[in-house]
Amino acid sequence: MIPATDRRPYWAWPLSALLTLWLAAVGPACAQVKLGFQAPLTGQAATDGKSANIAAEMAIEKINTGGGVLGQKMELVTYDDQAKTEEAVFTANKLIGQDGVKFAVSGSYSASGRAAAPIFQKAAVPFISAYGVHPDITRSGDYIFRTVHLGPPQGRAAAKFLADNLGRKRVSVITMDNDYGQATFEGFKSAVDRFGIKVLGEYTYSLKDRQFGSIVASVKRDNPDAVYVTGYFFTAAPLVSQLRSAGIQAPIVGSQAFDAQKLIEIAGPAVEGVYIVGGLNRDRDVPELKEYLAGFEKRSGYAGENVGATVYSAVRLMADAIGRAGSLDPAKVRDALAATHNFPHLAGELVSFNSLREINMPMNVNVVKEGKFRHYAWIDDLQLLAPPTE
Amino acid sequence: MSYYLDLAFNGLVFGCMYALMAVGLTLVYGLLRILHIAHAAVYAFGAYVAVIVANGTGSLALGLAASIGAAALLGMAIYRALYQPLLAYPPYVPMIASIGLLVLMEDGFRIAFGEQGLTFARNPYPTQLHELAGLTVNTVQIAIVGAAIACVGLLALVAYRTRIGIGWRATVSDPAMAASFGVDAIKVRYLNFAIGSALAALAGALIALLNNFVEPSMGFVVSYKALAVIVLGGLGSLQGTLVASLALGLVESYGTIFVGHFMDRDAIAFLFLIAVLIVRPQGLAGLKTA
Repeated sequence: MIPATDRRPYWAWPLSALLTLWLAAVGPACAQVKLGFQAPLTGQAATDGKSANIAAEMAIEKINTGGGVLGQKMELVTYDDQAKTEEAVFTANKLIGQDGVKFAVSGSYSASGRAAAPIFQKAAVPFISAYGVHPDITRSGDYIFRTVHLGPPQGRAAAKFLADNLGRKRVSVITMDNDYGQATFEGFKSAVDRFGIKVLGEYTYSLKDRQFGSIVASVKRDNPDAVYVTGYFFTAAPLVSQLRSAGIQAPIVGSQAFDAQKLIEIAGPAVEGVYIVGGLNRDRDVPELKEYLAGFEKRSGYAGENVGATVYSAVRLMADAIGRAGSLDPAKVRDALAATHNFPHLAGELVSFNSLREINMPMNVNVVKEGKFRHYAWIDDLQLLAPPTE
Repeated sequence: MSYYLDLAFNGLVFGCMYALMAVGLTLVYGLLRILHIAHAAVYAFGAYVAVIVANGTGSLALGLAASIGAAALLGMAIYRALYQPLLAYPPYVPMIASIGLLVLMEDGFRIAFGEQGLTFARNPYPTQLHELAGLTVNTVQIAIVGAAIACVGLLALVAYRTRIGIGWRATVSDPAMAASFGVDAIKVRYLNFAIGSALAALAGALIALLNNFVEPSMGFVVSYKALAVIVLGGLGSLQGTLVASLALGLVESYGTIFVGHFMDRDAIAFLFLIAVLIVRPQGLAGLKTA
């Protein structure tokens, strides 16, 4: 005799069968396309990580309200890589092994991108580095793409801008000692002869420096016609302030990473008139850009800049490529990415990818005017800006 | 010539900054033989309080006062809550706890006040320029040098001319003997932490003014430099610390120019430290202690 407690109700099996059938039927419709996403949510780069995260989420929402990809919703699987190599490797493996993502975007710095790219390449997962600029990232293989200008083209563009747009040929250069700073400076140096620029002095500083007294004194002694600086807002703001405080009036041209509202907040009137090569053109009359800037500021509490814009565009590009491929097969999506033509990147027209999957795209130059970043010029010599092919 | 004077003044400002930070560390080490690494968090705390109160009340003076007061209290609280219970253990135990507190507080600042950092709403001082002996200096730089001289002078005055000061010096030299003369060792410890922390907060507030920027990780870089300074100066020696601070400031200022290409500025500082210690292991003014 079966005890009362062990007896299952008579409707148990039919109900389970029904549930299983129902799940099997609606399952695929509930299935979502997962997009792996790495960003430095904590640690030294947390500022950019926050921007990247918000931008990625906005892009996903935009994609999903537009019908998703191939009829399915896109889902972001985010991991904090702390801008550290070990964490990037760990979270990349997690994304592939545990979460089973078939597509990924890096919203993190070069060190992480460089560590994660080979892992995604090996797993044949199309991977876009939104703003990590180290050359080795795309060299990891044909599944790795990048939607931001490399350091060297930025440096070459700066040389052209200084010589052709500003007419300044005697330049002192202050560079950050990390990959980004060094790569950009190499690009700059490679173009100085072509544009007739004389480098009066080269100075290097570290990411954690905030006091630049020695460098400022040396630049003052150089007495240049212009100063070219690579840096992020938290180094650039004190540096530019200190340069101006020392009485250096020459025009200052900054690198892409200057382009954050916080730069103006910290340095105030000192950054007025500073040029930024590779900054985001917020003045473009493009509806999606305006929508993005308004939405981003509302969610983050600060004005949108390059990092967010390029991450947003990277996510949009991945969805666009899936759409063009007409399939969720990573190999087909990879091919669609490689065949990208005139994609509406928030920062401008992404003309195409070259054979190393680097962008062919014009570069914007901003100027700080009345406490805001305004478009100043376009560098559209695509040949000058041509990224390397190996 | 003005170039080298520029560099020298720059070095002086750096040196005064390190001095304000390192004095607190030396005071704690001299008394308790603990490396108070969380001192860097007190420095950052002072900077945050200064910015927040100054922005909130519109008065920089209030901001500075609040910063110094709050930090003194924080320093004493750190002693009471973190170190006092651990005094029975070997010195590395409170040191590890101290590191833990530094990391905790740094992330606390990041969570509470944002990753992007804070700036003063009204801060004309770094751009107020003055001509001084052919150099262009700003108000904050003068304030740093002035504050360092004033504080050290005041400290010396208190230490050598007042009863409290004598009692404190006695406790540092020989706690048991001092206690038998009626000096309350516990009060001396609180005073130690209060003074050291107040100085660190002042340094933090001044740097916040100089850069017009306060960020969660601002304590890190200064912390290990200050540690280098007290080792260089001879652990526990106040005079040594002061000399070492200035020496380090100058070495960094000149060193950055000549080796900045292939060496991090901080590496220069440590190379200097290693060089001095090889020649003089007890530090610049250190006493050969058992």
